[in-house]
Amino acid sequence: MLPFSAEALFGQFGQYNSAIWPAPVSAFLLGALALWLLFEPRANSGRIISGILALFWAWNGAVYHLAWFSEINFLAPMFGIFFLAEGAVLLWFGVVRDQYDYRLGRTLADWTGLALVIFALAGYPLLAAQLGHVWPETPFFGVAPCPTTLFTLGVLLMMQPRVNWPASIIPLLWALTGASGAWILDIREDWSLLIAAVLFVPLAIAKNGAALR
Amino acid sequence: MTSKLAQGTRRDFLAGAAAIGIAATTGGAGRAASSDAQTEIMKREVPSTREALPAIGLGTWITFNIGSDPKLRAARTDVLRGFVDAGGRMVDSSPMYGTSEEVIGHCLKEMGGARSLFSATKVWTMFEGFGITQMERSMQLWGLERFDLMQIHNLLDWDTHIRTLKAWKAQGRIRYLGITTSHGRRHDDFARIMRNEPLDFVQFTYNILDREAEKRLLPLAAERGQAVIINRPFRTGDLFDRFDKHPLPEWASEFDASNWAQFLLKFVISHPAVTCAIPATSRLDHLKENMSALHGRLPDAKMRERMVRYVESL
Repeated sequence: MLPFSAEALFGQFGQYNSAIWPAPVSAFLLGALALWLLFEPRANSGRIISGILALFWAWNGAVYHLAWFSEINFLAPMFGIFFLAEGAVLLWFGVVRDQYDYRLGRTLADWTGLALVIFALAGYPLLAAQLGHVWPETPFFGVAPCPTTLFTLGVLLMMQPRVNWPASIIPLLWALTGASGAWILDIREDWSLLIAAVLFVPLAIAKNGAALR
Repeated sequence: MTSKLAQGTRRDFLAGAAAIGIAATTGGAGRAASSDAQTEIMKREVPSTREALPAIGLGTWITFNIGSDPKLRAARTDVLRGFVDAGGRMVDSSPMYGTSEEVIGHCLKEMGGARSLFSATKVWTMFEGFGITQMERSMQLWGLERFDLMQIHNLLDWDTHIRTLKAWKAQGRIRYLGITTSHGRRHDDFARIMRNEPLDFVQFTYNILDREAEKRLLPLAAERGQAVIINRPFRTGDLFDRFDKHPLPEWASEFDASNWAQFLLKFVISHPAVTCAIPATSRLDHLKENMSALHGRLPDAKMRERMVRYVESL
């Protein structure tokens, strides 16, 4: 049981998107840059992509969850802390320690990751709009948790040579949390989170297993 | 101003109720129910003071947690105004319900206040200092100087807060104090506190499918002289999902129920120990259906058994 209705959630998204505009455009451009770097890796690609992801998770934690969502959901402060923690993981290991390498490989995990990234950037908002959640109520990639999680899971599937589990735990947990919204509030676009999580785990295990051989 | 507005639209409401075949008589089938001479609204007395309250109130879980969206706030103002116009008094909320208290305060301000309002909220935090801060914050959000009823939400840190509530009641900052639970949780602890503390009100879940309270809490409340607020009388809408596709039995007319809302609410408020049921809604048409259960006859004990058998057969 959630303490708010879908009507209240999307009503708030409308106010949130209007208040933070043009942040969704900036997020989209940063996402497009990350996508380009996945195809055309550069010397600092790992740091840049990790930095972009860390920025998204920190924004969602501090701005969306703590400043906005907490107004209608008493659990949001806890979600905010988890999102900030994910941002810290990505910042520390990906940017400061430069331990994360992302690029499009040739495994099924990589191609599935690419599909998730493209879906998060374009498919999710289009699907949401098709299902009645039109601007300004559309949850946008980078500034809303669900499409950001889809994007992150996609990018993590393209980590080389192996998928990093510590960086994957919180996005997977949110995928399950967000999917509960699909079930309880009938937000049908969020079934994609459950699909992403269900695909992610076996693909990551298979990719990591192959990398060990 | 509120009162004048209320009388005007209450007439409209009663006309509508009559049009759908609701008899304006109360206390049918042997039930002890007082009624207002003009409006025939079913009322119950608070045992500790004999104050009479309409047997249906308004819950705000989920439905009033709508943030600051002006369109949604205007719609909720209509709901609250409709509630008051239909003779409703008890509005129940909690700091746990997100922006519900703030939205109630906004609605009351838009309505120019509501003199008949019976304000009920809860304290939902740990420690004495946090509890006092939270209750004072609730007063600010509602725009009130005192609450009619303050309840300890889900028994959270109840032994700390009950001391504060007793002191506040003595100071006149609240008129009544109580405790709440929901979903049938912690009934053992709940019953123990009911036995040992001077509570005016208790609040728990009871509906035609969740009847555990009949065994212990409802008889205990009657024995202890505690008013009973019933939450989730529709199981947060689940009962409509289950029953709406089925026809209302013809014999429902024997207690003046012409829709499922009346059927389900009349089951709840016909229990002799129940003071007030607090269904939540965000829709004015649903609110009117709910409030129409305050009119007409109530099922007696035999009829209540028949109602249970019927819904369990669906």
